[in-house]
Amino acid sequence: MTLFAIIVFIILALIFGLVVFFDIRKAKKQQQKYHLGRSITAMCLIFPACLLAFFFILLPILYSLGYGFTDYNLLKPSVAKFVWFKNFTDAFNEILKGGKLAMALKNTAFFVVLVVPLQIILALVLALFCNVNIKGRGIFKVCFFTPVVVSLTVTSYLWSELLSPSETGMMNSLLGLFGIPPQDFLNNPDTTMLWIVIVSAWQGCGYQMLIFSSALTGIRKDLYEAARMDGCNAWQRFIKVTLPGLKPTLLYVLITVFVGACRIMIQPMLMVGYQDNSVTLSYYMYQEGYAFRHVGYSSAIALLMTIFIGTITFIQRKVLGDKK
Amino acid sequence: MNKRLLVLLTALSFTFTACGGGGGEGPEVDDSGNTIVKILFHVDAKSAEGNAYKKRIDEFNQTYKDRKIKAAATYRARTSGGADYEKQLIAMQLDGSLPDIITFDAPNCASYADADLIWDISDALTSEEKGDFLSLNTYQGKLYGLPIQESSAGFYYNKRLFSDAGINVSSYTVENPWTFAEFKDVCRRLQQSGVATPVDMRLDATKDETAPYLLYPIIYAAGGKFVSEDGYTAKGYMNSQESKNGFQFLKDLISANYTSYAIGATDFFTGKVGMYLSSGWTIPDLDHKFPETFPNRDSWGLLPYPKEVTRASATGSWSYAVTNNGVTDKTATYELLRWMSSAESTTTVTNATGMIPCRKSCNPDYPAGSPERLLLDQLSQTGKERPVTVGYPQFSTSFNSIVYKIKDGDVNTVVENETNAFQEQLDRIKAEH
Repeated sequence: MTLFAIIVFIILALIFGLVVFFDIRKAKKQQQKYHLGRSITAMCLIFPACLLAFFFILLPILYSLGYGFTDYNLLKPSVAKFVWFKNFTDAFNEILKGGKLAMALKNTAFFVVLVVPLQIILALVLALFCNVNIKGRGIFKVCFFTPVVVSLTVTSYLWSELLSPSETGMMNSLLGLFGIPPQDFLNNPDTTMLWIVIVSAWQGCGYQMLIFSSALTGIRKDLYEAARMDGCNAWQRFIKVTLPGLKPTLLYVLITVFVGACRIMIQPMLMVGYQDNSVTLSYYMYQEGYAFRHVGYSSAIALLMTIFIGTITFIQRKVLGDKK
Repeated sequence: MNKRLLVLLTALSFTFTACGGGGGEGPEVDDSGNTIVKILFHVDAKSAEGNAYKKRIDEFNQTYKDRKIKAAATYRARTSGGADYEKQLIAMQLDGSLPDIITFDAPNCASYADADLIWDISDALTSEEKGDFLSLNTYQGKLYGLPIQESSAGFYYNKRLFSDAGINVSSYTVENPWTFAEFKDVCRRLQQSGVATPVDMRLDATKDETAPYLLYPIIYAAGGKFVSEDGYTAKGYMNSQESKNGFQFLKDLISANYTSYAIGATDFFTGKVGMYLSSGWTIPDLDHKFPETFPNRDSWGLLPYPKEVTRASATGSWSYAVTNNGVTDKTATYELLRWMSSAESTTTVTNATGMIPCRKSCNPDYPAGSPERLLLDQLSQTGKERPVTVGYPQFSTSFNSIVYKIKDGDVNTVVENETNAFQEQLDRIKAEH
């Protein structure tokens, strides 16, 4: 472990050295005095955070980047070979021939396109509802937020029971009252992802509701009064005052919900299993990396996924964030 | 050039492995001079099975006190499918902290042996000792694992529903099992007598290993196979006409509404379903949990797997293996291995779990005609292990996909597609060699 500690120390020292170098250059350009003592204090303060970021963010990314170009098998790390871009070409071939990865892409895209607007709209509606001055709104807030604190595993199993294809399943029992025959909600290829969207939006919207709620309290009341005096109705006030006031929050929520949606895995895994109608990108990556032990191939997929999500997030920021 | 780049990209990764320590050639010795043998179990220490292991470990430490060998046990409960347990094993392999003995699920034998994770224990037991086991975990002719206990499955049936339908199944025994046609005929008669779903084939259990474990004997019974001897070829085996006939049998049951994917978990136990495919672990449930439907053992029975071309039944459970952890002197490790796999330990563990002993010498006193006797007889006469292949997880996934898809698709197309996908995975594994 000593060798490893030395390597980590050298890397961090190099990073800090570079920071100091650029700070000194900047100070010189701006004709200011550089205070080395202050710099050292500041660096000591940020050191723990840097260490955590190094171990839990940077290092895994570097690992994944490296493994993506090897044929690393989880059970045989010592015989890993460098295979250049083979994992990436394999991935593209898998997509072109309509294999599991193509299904994963299709299902993930379907999920993202539906869940992002649904979850955000739901969260906004709930936040607006909780913002109205009515009795017991605190209880509503707690109820809406509760699914967020319940484990994904538990909610997935609960919904599996609710949507059980058996005629004794809760939803089918309900349909039975109206003479409708039992439905296989989760295993019907046409409805699998739709139900996963509904479960995910239900589970996740409580968290975004809280964010919107706190953002709503930050919008100045006098703007609403001015809008009223100008003759705006409730819808117009929402469009002209509330939405612009929520814009920075909306952008943050959009990006976090989008990134979270791209990583969907637990719900399809526990509710359906590894099938064409339920596999998602993260699930495919997990299955290839852990169950099938192809860490190299799985890392290549992870890298492609990171590039894809990063690009979309960048575009979102550019399109929505930079407009004044 | 390639090598340089590889070194640069993975240097950091292998630094971990290199710095992780790992065993030397000799075993670990504590301050009192005891040779420490570490063993990892896949169950919680507080479970009935965990307590049985703990009891035998304590007795070992007492017995081997004078010989200065001490067993140190760790218990890590596996989650569904055992994936977390395997992750723990792999992490231990990477950081060089593998214990001397591990427990592992039998189908993983080939991949663990191929990866040098487990040790060839062919010389740990005499041939007489090996012959006492109902099955052994072998790969390429070498012994890698000793079963802890055994399991088998069959068709539990509701005697009242059978009697109402006028069905007599007393002639269907392990020695003379029913055929696929007779199986369908029983389903037909049950359906005609008003049982909406005659049999629960567990088609809904495709999220984990349950469906492959319970249904693979059907394919063998139809004369099919899954992989070649070396475990690297699926084409010509999994998609052979005989294998397809096995899957077609399942499809026929679905098409005739004899079984379905929408059977409730308790439908058999509440008298709505005539038969239920399951392993020996269902016996305690039938004995104790559903007295209204099954007040005593006269109200339910157990039937063997049906046969078409050959007899076959499910086998396999968890096993012990010695790890390749850098310790080359395995003397003390073998002592603990022999102890834990002895007839006494087997009896202690199976008494706690209700499973079938893996040693013939345990000779459990199951009465003739009892479900336990049927499972034991079936195991010893028709037991056929799951396919031995390095790509077992991929096999399990493909098998689950076939079972999942045949309800809507044509058997020929579904089996061909899944065989191709499985073969691609096997080719990738082969290329990694």
